[in-house]
Amino acid sequence: MTDTQWSTWEVFHQTKRGDPHEHVGSVHAPDPQMALQLARDQFARRLKCSSLWVVRTSDIVMTDYQDPTFFAQTTDKSYRDPKAFDAPEKRHP
Amino acid sequence: MSSSAPLIELLIAMADDELVLGHRDAEWTGHAPILEEDIAFSNIAQDEIGHSLIWYHLLEPLTGLTPDQAAFVRPAKDFRCCRFVAYPKGDFAYTVVRQYLFDEAEQVRLTALAESTNEQLRQAAAKLLPEETYHLLHTKGLVERLGRGTDESRGRMQAALDIAFPQALGMFESLSSEDQLIRLGIFPGHRALQRQWIERILPVLSGASLSVGVDGSGRPLGQPDLGGRIGAHTPYLLEALSDLQRVYNSEPGAIW
Repeated sequence: MTDTQWSTWEVFHQTKRGDPHEHVGSVHAPDPQMALQLARDQFARRLKCSSLWVVRTSDIVMTDYQDPTFFAQTTDKSYRDPKAFDAPEKRHP
Repeated sequence: MSSSAPLIELLIAMADDELVLGHRDAEWTGHAPILEEDIAFSNIAQDEIGHSLIWYHLLEPLTGLTPDQAAFVRPAKDFRCCRFVAYPKGDFAYTVVRQYLFDEAEQVRLTALAESTNEQLRQAAAKLLPEETYHLLHTKGLVERLGRGTDESRGRMQAALDIAFPQALGMFESLSSEDQLIRLGIFPGHRALQRQWIERILPVLSGASLSVGVDGSGRPLGQPDLGGRIGAHTPYLLEALSDLQRVYNSEPGAIW
């Protein structure tokens, strides 16, 4: 039997203009326009929203959880850490 | 006939259309073919019921009925919704087709009311139009995609449309006080709205490889399904209302 499921789209939500778009989940949809509409219903109906992005899940290039070497930090890198000043966590303006 | 009678008749027709269709749409909650559409249709259902509330609020000073009384206590014979909105939800194709045809009618109805001589109607129409425009975007998108989808989806949509189109003409059944509403500039009349509605739906349907029975000048062929506006309903309204009114009537006047 062929798989009749629609493909999935990752949804990125922005609360107000200037904020970063944050990943909030995914929707099934047959095409980009429907993906945006359905994302609106799932993620922007109750949350305040100024913008949504949808990206076809299969278009996202991702690292492999099974690959132990990609993020490996095997030597001491503490000299790289900024310790002499506070770096407040600040969002984009 | 009191001077507000024509306005009451128009408001009841619009409020009852929204309430009953909203109830029918809500019957998909938990049952739609995919989760995303389940949520989308539940959202549309809540919007329609919310829109009925706006019209019932405008009715309250004219009839003395609170929105709750209008929705939950009135007997079916006092409802003035068209028959179209009361039919069972059918399959998803029928639901999509019905909601699409209704959304296009809402566009012409609310656009006309946005120009009404009645200020309350103008304000309400301006408030409802953006939400209705979104419903239309969604249902039109589904009509176009399902009409041009597979043989099965096109076949089901056409079968649904064959049933729904004559029923949908009932949305434009004349009100008894229609001439007065037109003369007072409150409302342009259902004949004008039906003409605009047909002009809107024909290109969309033909673009979706779907068709309806109209003659060369866009006049509908076949019998429209009338009666709702004079209270001559089908048993389906009674069935829908007994469901809709059950909780309220289990403890009338209860405070939540």
